[in-house]
Amino acid sequence: MELPIRLSKDSREPIYHQIENQLKALIAGGQLVAGTPLPSIRALSKDLEISIITTRRAYQDLEHQGFIRTSQGKGTFVAEIEDATKQQVKISSVYQTIEKAVDTAIQYDYSLDQIEEIFQEVIRSQRLSQNEKGD
Amino acid sequence: MKAWLEISDLQKKIDDDFQLGPIDLRIVPGTITALVGNNGSGKSTLLKLIMNLANPDVGNIKVFGKFVYGQDESWKNQISYLPQTRIGWDAYSGNTLKRLIAPIYPNWDDALFIQIVELFNIPLNKPYRKLSQGIQQKLSLALTIPRNTPLLLLDEPTSFMDMPSKKQFVDLVVDWMDQDERAIIIASHQAEDIRKLSDYLCVIQNGKHVGTFEKETLTEHYMRYWIHGAFPEQRIPGEVTREKHQLISNDPAATENFLLKNNVTWTDRSKLDLEDIVSHLLNAGKEG
Repeated sequence: MELPIRLSKDSREPIYHQIENQLKALIAGGQLVAGTPLPSIRALSKDLEISIITTRRAYQDLEHQGFIRTSQGKGTFVAEIEDATKQQVKISSVYQTIEKAVDTAIQYDYSLDQIEEIFQEVIRSQRLSQNEKGD
Repeated sequence: MKAWLEISDLQKKIDDDFQLGPIDLRIVPGTITALVGNNGSGKSTLLKLIMNLANPDVGNIKVFGKFVYGQDESWKNQISYLPQTRIGWDAYSGNTLKRLIAPIYPNWDDALFIQIVELFNIPLNKPYRKLSQGIQQKLSLALTIPRNTPLLLLDEPTSFMDMPSKKQFVDLVVDWMDQDERAIIIASHQAEDIRKLSDYLCVIQNGKHVGTFEKETLTEHYMRYWIHGAFPEQRIPGEVTREKHQLISNDPAATENFLLKNNVTWTDRSKLDLEDIVSHLLNAGKEG
């Protein structure tokens, strides 16, 4: 099975970290439910065009944190995780995404006030479209 | 981890203009190492030296702890080798070749042989010489991979294959690696093989070992910058090449640090493709 993981070509974030975060998001978001078999380290390395050293590191970290489990001879599976952990992953991924957006804006020389304005505009247009859907 | 294959200080003079090595290389279980280099860089010679089909001038090769040129040849049961050209196969059909080869290998996997034959649609009743080069490579794979030895050496296994077959080959190798503890060395010019299969790249330029790199130490350390404005004249830390507005660095942290200090800005930056990185390594090897 192919996982919907996409590695960024211009990110400073190490690849193993990108894999960890995206897998956590898929698990916390419920796209990958407990018990789902994950690709072997070799197969995921092929799909993502990376070495098994990197993939193994990501899998080991995720296993230590309790997101996945490996059973000898059977493979790797999504683990049962607590709702509190799921919430935590969601919160931190939302924070990270917004932080990244702010970083991008700062790189383009926007002031914090300008960024706040953009942010509110995005929220306003979201509200509008949600209200329209509600009608 | 214990190495299955250990090459140390290996050197072989081919003629007055060409010497291979010195090469040091360790292969550990579970890994795929791609031998990459320009044409005639000595990749095939290296594989022949490992198989004891040529003698080194200096240095040692051990396979599963045994010197390959020693009296004890038990290592030969642990390694399979797919050369670029098969000598003595021309007159025989796939069926005959299988009858000759399979009994030599105690772990021969006939189900896997049949699977590969069906996957690639290989005719087994025609003599080898009557097959196209692509089909010859497919048959050669079908007669090598099912030997199921822990070590597998492949010399340009897919160079004549069509694109869908190359993809099938990659999947075949991935499945094979997942079946047991195994390791592969593959000499290849195919971008697909190198990107999708390799964990390590052993880069050889005209016989000279440029280095052996874990794939991500290359892809995570090479960066292309689009520089805004003029370049500083001096060499920039990490600089590999520069042209017009582009700078390629193999040490992004040092490069960015320098650029920021000198008030040079960049509009964009992006990691390089593995193929581009290999080209830069080979060019650098040429100058060095």
